[in-house]
Amino acid sequence: MSGAKGQIHDLGYKRYVGTRRPPSTRWRVIARHQISFAWKTWWRFKAALGIAIIATCITSGLMLFASERSTSVGLAQAIVKPLIDSALPESIIWFCRAGFLVSLTIGAGVVASDVQSGAFTFYFARSVKPFHYVAGKLVGLCALLAIIVFAGPMVISGLRVGIADSPEQLIEMLPYLGKTAIIGAVATLAYAAVPLGFSALLHNRRHALALWAAYYLIFGEMMHALGRASDSSGWIAAIDIPHAVQALAYDLYDIKFRAQRDANIPVEAAVVALAAHVVLAIAIVLHRVRAAQRAGIGGGA
Amino acid sequence: MAEPLIQLRQLTKSYGRIVALRGVDAAVDGRIIGLLGPNGSGKSTLLKCLLGLLPYEGEARVLGLHAATHGAEIRDRVGYMPEQEAFLAGMSAVELCTYAGELSGLPRTEAMQRAHAALYYAGLEEKRYQPIDGYSTGMKQRVKLAQALVHDPEILFLDEPTNGLDPRSRDEMLELIAELPERRNCTIVLSTHLLPDVERVCDRAMIMHQGRLRFAGTMDELRSTRGRDTELVVDVKADADKLAAALGELGARCEVVSPLQLRVELPADATSITVFQRARDAGVQVRGLGVRRETIEAAFLRVIGDPAPVAPPSSPEVAA
Repeated sequence: MSGAKGQIHDLGYKRYVGTRRPPSTRWRVIARHQISFAWKTWWRFKAALGIAIIATCITSGLMLFASERSTSVGLAQAIVKPLIDSALPESIIWFCRAGFLVSLTIGAGVVASDVQSGAFTFYFARSVKPFHYVAGKLVGLCALLAIIVFAGPMVISGLRVGIADSPEQLIEMLPYLGKTAIIGAVATLAYAAVPLGFSALLHNRRHALALWAAYYLIFGEMMHALGRASDSSGWIAAIDIPHAVQALAYDLYDIKFRAQRDANIPVEAAVVALAAHVVLAIAIVLHRVRAAQRAGIGGGA
Repeated sequence: MAEPLIQLRQLTKSYGRIVALRGVDAAVDGRIIGLLGPNGSGKSTLLKCLLGLLPYEGEARVLGLHAATHGAEIRDRVGYMPEQEAFLAGMSAVELCTYAGELSGLPRTEAMQRAHAALYYAGLEEKRYQPIDGYSTGMKQRVKLAQALVHDPEILFLDEPTNGLDPRSRDEMLELIAELPERRNCTIVLSTHLLPDVERVCDRAMIMHQGRLRFAGTMDELRSTRGRDTELVVDVKADADKLAAALGELGARCEVVSPLQLRVELPADATSITVFQRARDAGVQVRGLGVRRETIEAAFLRVIGDPAPVAPPSSPEVAA
């Protein structure tokens, strides 16, 4: 505080005469803030980024190593090529783990933290609408997660295309990039939207984190285990987000091989489960934020 | 004639069966306007309606804009300092204020410059880089004021700005508020239940009670809403009782405090000139005549206790 007598400090006031940015751009401000805030503490984002970088390096290294061996030692293409082809789908699960770390440290606490700290009042006393708030938070989280679950697989698939033996094979491999982009985008949206939905369910940040962790680690794994135990229950196993993403990857890359630890999830089930998760989560967040705004600034929390 | 800053016509707001605002009519202008009322009187609901955050019946215009349809535009031009904490966890004051400026439509560079200026104005200086989580209550109140100021609002709504402050911090906050209209060229609506705060910094007052606007006018009008000064303190050279008797014949109620002083409550048709005339007739020399001003507390209690809405006759802006 300043001195005993309340001092007035003024650096010279001038009325702002410039143009104000339209309210429709508020979501961009919120998204940018979400990204910069996540970068501030290493454990929120940088740890997950480290995992993603390690996963990218290991997978890329394995692919390069296998590619070198196939030419230098002369190993049969029939042995090496499937190994190279399965490297990316197999690595997806690691990117999902890194994505979960980000979703846990950042995503699952976003709305609950704002409710807890009274930030709804801060937002809605300005020209911010519930849609701007939800879009900004979602885009911000998506940008963060894209660095991990989108960029990493894209680097690997780019490498896969790059190590093609011939121009014909390179052209043949090009759709690989598009397929990877689809998988990366789906995973990004799932790991951004679903924890955001969980964060809107509770008023306490820590409780929201715990609920998301329990759903992902315990409930998801339980559903996956149940699906694996019963061959006809692939739809139940699709509730487990990382395995649903992986099932989509297997289908897009046309990989028939499945590890014994994985349930046989039909691609339709994976798509429906992921879409349902995302739509439901966004609906919950919108409902929560609109209800708070309808009750007045910061009210209804 | 210029449009008033805030204009209300039959403003009504209900929460289910509970009526929070009942047909409020007012046209408000001024420098620092005190919005007074007991808890549950409708002050916060009125502010929310003015910010365009709640649907309502009737009409509410702020800066000439309809709150129901132009809420976002109004909120870009109005600053709001909430009563409760409204911070974002882990942010410093300068980050919060910059973010607030950007959310109100300022470009990032402009928002950052104005955030520093607003925090400097609020007296946070070097503390502005520290996380808000570690601030004292007084510092948090200053941050709330700064974030409401950062986007250069034309009207500032301050909701209980001195709540929880120690006497020194309260003085400092009130001093900041009192200086704002000149230094920042804005009008302030100060919502509070602390009457001394209003008395100290406000030039106009609006009193809400049970969802109705019971008074709107200047502070002087609030203290004399009966239209004139009827209660006088008369100092005489001697024989106060003689003057009391003379005034009593007119129907005035007099209380002789001492042989040299009496308190007089004049009847409706009498004025202070009547006192001088009666004193001359009674041969009593008047040494001094003062108006017994009503305290703000007494005026407030009278206004909210009065079943009929009170409007000072001299105020052209009030139609309550």
